[in-house]
Amino acid sequence: MSRGRIASAVAVVVCLFAEAGCASSTPSGEEARKRILRVAYDREIDVLNPFTSQNLVDISFSMIEGLVTTNERNEYIPVLAKEVPTEANGLVKREKDGSVVMTWPLHQNVRWHDGVAFTSADVCFTWRFVASANSMTYNREEYLGIKKCDTPDDHTVVFTWDGAYAYYAGLFEAILPRHVFMKADGKTEMSVDEIVNYEPYNRGSKTIGTGPFKFAEWRSGEYIRVVRNPDYWRGSAVPAIDEIVWAFIPDNNTRLLALKSGRYDWGRIQPTQVSVLRNLTASDVHLIDANSVMHFDLAIRTELGKQLFSDVRVRRAVFHAIDRDGMAKKLMEGTVKVAQGPINPNSPYHNAQVVTYDYDLNTSRRLLDEAGWTVGPDGVRQKDGRRFSFVMLNRAGTTDRILLAQVIQAGLKAVGIEVIFETMESAAWTQRWRSGKWEAMVSAWFLPADPGITGLYACKGANNMAGFCDPALDEILERSDKALSFDDRMPLLHEAQAKLAEQARMLPLYQNVMPEVVTKRVQGYRGSGTNFGSFWNLWEWKLAS
Amino acid sequence: MGAYITRRLLQMAPLMVGISIVVFALIQAAPGGPEAALLSSGRFVDPSVVAAYRTKLGVDQAVPVQYARWIGAALTGDLGVSYSTTRPVVDMIVERLPATLELMACAFLIAASFAALIGMASALRPHSWIDLLGTGSAFIGIALPVFWLGLILQLVFAVELGWLPVSGTHTVGSSSFGDHVAHLVLPAVVLASRYIASWSRYFRASLMSVLESDYIRTARAQGLSESRVFFAHAVRNALVPVVSVMALGLADLVSGAVITETVFAWPGIGRLFVQGMFARDYPLLMGILLMGSLTVLVFNLLADVLYGVLDPRIRYE
Repeated sequence: MSRGRIASAVAVVVCLFAEAGCASSTPSGEEARKRILRVAYDREIDVLNPFTSQNLVDISFSMIEGLVTTNERNEYIPVLAKEVPTEANGLVKREKDGSVVMTWPLHQNVRWHDGVAFTSADVCFTWRFVASANSMTYNREEYLGIKKCDTPDDHTVVFTWDGAYAYYAGLFEAILPRHVFMKADGKTEMSVDEIVNYEPYNRGSKTIGTGPFKFAEWRSGEYIRVVRNPDYWRGSAVPAIDEIVWAFIPDNNTRLLALKSGRYDWGRIQPTQVSVLRNLTASDVHLIDANSVMHFDLAIRTELGKQLFSDVRVRRAVFHAIDRDGMAKKLMEGTVKVAQGPINPNSPYHNAQVVTYDYDLNTSRRLLDEAGWTVGPDGVRQKDGRRFSFVMLNRAGTTDRILLAQVIQAGLKAVGIEVIFETMESAAWTQRWRSGKWEAMVSAWFLPADPGITGLYACKGANNMAGFCDPALDEILERSDKALSFDDRMPLLHEAQAKLAEQARMLPLYQNVMPEVVTKRVQGYRGSGTNFGSFWNLWEWKLAS
Repeated sequence: MGAYITRRLLQMAPLMVGISIVVFALIQAAPGGPEAALLSSGRFVDPSVVAAYRTKLGVDQAVPVQYARWIGAALTGDLGVSYSTTRPVVDMIVERLPATLELMACAFLIAASFAALIGMASALRPHSWIDLLGTGSAFIGIALPVFWLGLILQLVFAVELGWLPVSGTHTVGSSSFGDHVAHLVLPAVVLASRYIASWSRYFRASLMSVLESDYIRTARAQGLSESRVFFAHAVRNALVPVVSVMALGLADLVSGAVITETVFAWPGIGRLFVQGMFARDYPLLMGILLMGSLTVLVFNLLADVLYGVLDPRIRYE
């Protein structure tokens, strides 16, 4: 029997697969004519409500618009607002009692996707929601300065703030449709918890915005599809794309191959993957400077941290022993630039004239000698019987950061400092990091376009995990947070950046880049490195045939 | 047999409660909490928001209290609401289950048929080139990490040759069956690869020992045709030990396609689990792990029942 039968069985299975593999996947004629933008997206999002989502919200922003967004130059630009209020245009007024009144003129003839008119009442509703205790909005605190929201007419919103807050122009990146969140009686608004848990809005069936695209479909674990809004308020000629498919491809390698296969128009890859895709003919790789600086932190919240790093000479010595050029050019394959401060060089607030810490082992050794750390018998420096040895906390899975940690370890070894690694899983690392119980780590924030850095570096800054404190810097930061114009705020932030560098509070390693692979048929793309992402001008995008 | 099955099913209830305690404790023991998701995007998050989030979810309470609350609801069929999506866990699992079941069924069919072919060919001609080839590829199959094999197949068949898609379940806008099957081929083959390797080894060993039994010699002596001896007598008897391995493997496949689903962006339970793990989404993890445990128990029972079917000498009281 057997050989013949076995052979034929094998043949059948092979044929089955060959046939399946060769089955063509040509969509029908109408489908084929559609201008579809296919995005290889790096994660599956949780909910579409942009305020309660714990992810960055590119997908929501294709449907939902706010008063403002950010462009590729890190500037806030108006969307549903006609202009951003400033003192210069007379829309920001300081009152005698210290309060500040801001008037936002809104575009007229803007309609929600269901045809209902967008009005100032929606803006006030959004404010009430975000500022509520249980809204879970990541930057809720920033809305708390608003004491009152008035609607003199349908197209004007007036906020009364209890003081001057420099970051005012970066809020309200999305507006919620009040009429969707009404109870069954149509008169009372849902409670905050009801809004947070309102599945029709979270999952798409009632995710209504004013944006260029409307929700169409969410296949769990696979993709979200949005379609052109034919009644978009900017005119019937836009958007020029019929459909966007956001396919969830969280695995970095799979996404790389998916982009390489040419089936997607847009996708983000890792900096170390850039060389693989550089030679693609149909796509370009854009290196977008993210509002995020990879930096090396030293902390003084623990006893050991205090003993080792309280002396500024020691911190400078440590920083001089780190080869940042090598990191940028070799490790990151030239995709990134060495950074000198926490603010994106694309931002108008960036200060390029600060003290820098060049790779110079001799300077490093000299500073350590001056600080009293002498080389001990085992090659490790010591002072008062304590060896200069500390643990660096690494986050598992972040290959780039671990490689950076290794370069740091090698550099410090050369000047007589011992670095030991402790690697923790992501959530565990996060918990430890926030607890402040560590001495050193490589980390990065993703900052909004607003250049405020008070939370990171003020003595009581909510995110000052490293524990350094300088009242003089606090005073500058506080003033900068109250400056309502660029001209007032810029010099203060320049001074703050200079002080940070001088005090060697952290060592900026390089400006993180987000390499974005975009096919050449996409026109109008202007990648942005803020937390609002690169899809801020989707309404202008076109797809060449 | 009916009484036996009922008894086994009844025994499962306390077992599941025991498992839920262990699993709950393990999940809670992992450092970090649900706020990890809030912080994972790297955005500025105010600590007061983090604290409010923990209070709202109730994860700031003692672990036994949390468990009591969870089991109380679970006993009424309510597995809770996912922290990250605010949706009922049951809905999320049910939504993802078909994709996993489909992938599993295909992988199982591929694995079972290839394992049987390789096992039979090897056992019929032990130490021949065909056996060496089968054994050799089995070892390679066991040794290859799934994610690596997946990436290599993607690179060859999707990127270089362009025959198959890299990931997903279908091309958006296309509802053709062929398109869907094309998406299924690579993940199913990758998922099957490990099982082909191990099952064919089991089958070969089992078949070889059966082929040397007295009753096979007797069957041949009675003048039965070689194919009848092989399929009716040898294969059926050789299947008994293999079935238990396969049944447990099947349970594994239902809950264990984590890596394959991640590499191929397949929207199944495995990927949901990974997402839940990173977000420390306790209710979701509990739901998925309990479903996995239940599957293992059910397939164990199935294997025991199948013994009886395959070998009439085995009887359960």
